[in-house]
Amino acid sequence: MMAPFFKYALFGENISLVVAFLVGIGFGFFLERAGFGSSRKLAAQFYFTDLTVFKVMFTAIVTAMLGVYWLSVFGFMDLSLVYLTPTFLAPQMVGGLILGAGFVVGGYCPGTACVGIATGRIDALVLFVGIFAGVFGFSELYPRVSGFYMSTSMGQLTLPQVTHLPYGLLVFAVVLMALGGFIGAEWVEKRMAARKVEA
Amino acid sequence: MEAKPAQPYWNPYVAGVGLGLVLLASFVVMGRGLGASGAVASTITAGLNTVAPGHVAANPAYAEYLKDGASPLKDWLVFEVLGVFVGGYLSGMLAHRVTRVVERGPHITAGKRLMFAFIGGALMGVGAKLARGCTSGQALTGGALLNAGSWAFMIMVFAGAYALAYFMRRQWL
Amino acid sequence: MAEFMKKLTLNGRLAVVALLLGFAALFAGSPYHGAGASVNTKELALVMATGADQVGVTTLADWIIQGKSNFRVVDLRKEAAYQEYHIPPAENIPVAGLAQSSLLHNEKVILYADDGARAAQAWMLLRAKGYQGVYILRGGLEAWKDSVLFPRIPGNPTPAQLVEFARTREVSKFFGGTPQALAGDSASTSQVVMPRLAMPAPQAAGGAGAPKKKKKEGC
Repeated sequence: MMAPFFKYALFGENISLVVAFLVGIGFGFFLERAGFGSSRKLAAQFYFTDLTVFKVMFTAIVTAMLGVYWLSVFGFMDLSLVYLTPTFLAPQMVGGLILGAGFVVGGYCPGTACVGIATGRIDALVLFVGIFAGVFGFSELYPRVSGFYMSTSMGQLTLPQVTHLPYGLLVFAVVLMALGGFIGAEWVEKRMAARKVEA
Repeated sequence: MEAKPAQPYWNPYVAGVGLGLVLLASFVVMGRGLGASGAVASTITAGLNTVAPGHVAANPAYAEYLKDGASPLKDWLVFEVLGVFVGGYLSGMLAHRVTRVVERGPHITAGKRLMFAFIGGALMGVGAKLARGCTSGQALTGGALLNAGSWAFMIMVFAGAYALAYFMRRQWL
Repeated sequence: MAEFMKKLTLNGRLAVVALLLGFAALFAGSPYHGAGASVNTKELALVMATGADQVGVTTLADWIIQGKSNFRVVDLRKEAAYQEYHIPPAENIPVAGLAQSSLLHNEKVILYADDGARAAQAWMLLRAKGYQGVYILRGGLEAWKDSVLFPRIPGNPTPAQLVEFARTREVSKFFGGTPQALAGDSASTSQVVMPRLAMPAPQAAGGAGAPKKKKKEGC
């Protein structure tokens, strides 16, 4: 079957930009639906009072993962044509740590910051300016950090490849982990709410 | 004029399914996932290119966002991020959740909150460059594709955030 | 089952669906179809019968001269042979690398090797993988040499032939070749020198849609 459509040259670059815009609208819409225009709601994840971030993120991951898996298995799309960001383990892990720190300090991630700005949050705007500063600063210092930036390159690497386990097995494992996490999250939220009442 | 009360948020799982379907659509139509931080880099590159093209061309961190013959702004992620603004506004409007405010916890001033927002943003900028993505590009997209680096990244994001949460509690709680 | 689903909340139903789809994934195998491919024999036979699988060397020469950029040319030979001479806009992609290359499924791709055999094999492989725009260069590089670079032009052309031969001469010169006087024997071919590539290097595949630069598609 001819998916991903763009990789089969079913339409060109200009249409792809229209697609980008539409995808972005969908993305922003559902982020806001979940309440991610609010930094307070986002930050609450890290104080266990509101675990919406975890729930939304992993539901989205599971949904897309199952969709991609089943469409590929049935031959409706060619998974090998979907872009996989190459793994650079060390900088990605350090970058994740720094980004996570920035998340709880700033209260938004880049995507949700856009939603925050769109719904009037001034702190989101300031954070977004901060992102520009961070990207600019990093880029200016790039020659100094390029060694680390390019280190531990592992190419395009998937979990099935790393674990030598079948793709389908990992799909199931992720589903189980997510569902377990959701049950846990509901329980934690209830406990925290009860504690708040007691306090 | 009375502002209409904000509507409650959607069931997070339903919102998550919606988000997942958007991501899936991107995979099926484009063969790629979402993103946000790349658009920032493209914008900076475009801006710098007008005043210091030599500097841009010489630095790979900028040069990778140059397009042969076209503006760096003619980029998939830039258009996608523009869409995010629109989609976020649309949803916010429908739910009466658009309000000009500095979101913060009850025990911190707006000024301090904004200072932390800037610092947080700067940290994110650095982190996203190092990791080649942010939560949308790496965690969501890479997560769904079982990308090993993305899962490692995702775990570290949560680790980093939780590690610093205690020190930031005055901002939020 | 329906009863059970009815009793559940929305969240419960979502969870059950996810669980079922996840569980079934244990048995559904790999999502990659890798090296396998399917061939529609009827369709391919039809394409071959109508000649829609091939492009002639003079046609290709004309396209290049006209500056058309809606196609790509792929040289399937070894790198050394490619470096020595290749049809100007050609890219060197060995058969083994075709699947991983940047070729798009719908773009016009003209395949050539020394003669027709290797190109025909590559054509079959690509068509089986769903590439719809592939063509074989009829006669391969040998035909290119014979008809484009070193066309044989008889010494006494009729007036009608004059025009045609003038054109052939121009085409040959364009590619740096040398028209051969028709001497009736093959002595002339042993003296041909393959032209140095004076043609400009292929512009980023023109408007073919796939920029040579590996496109970043991350965040």
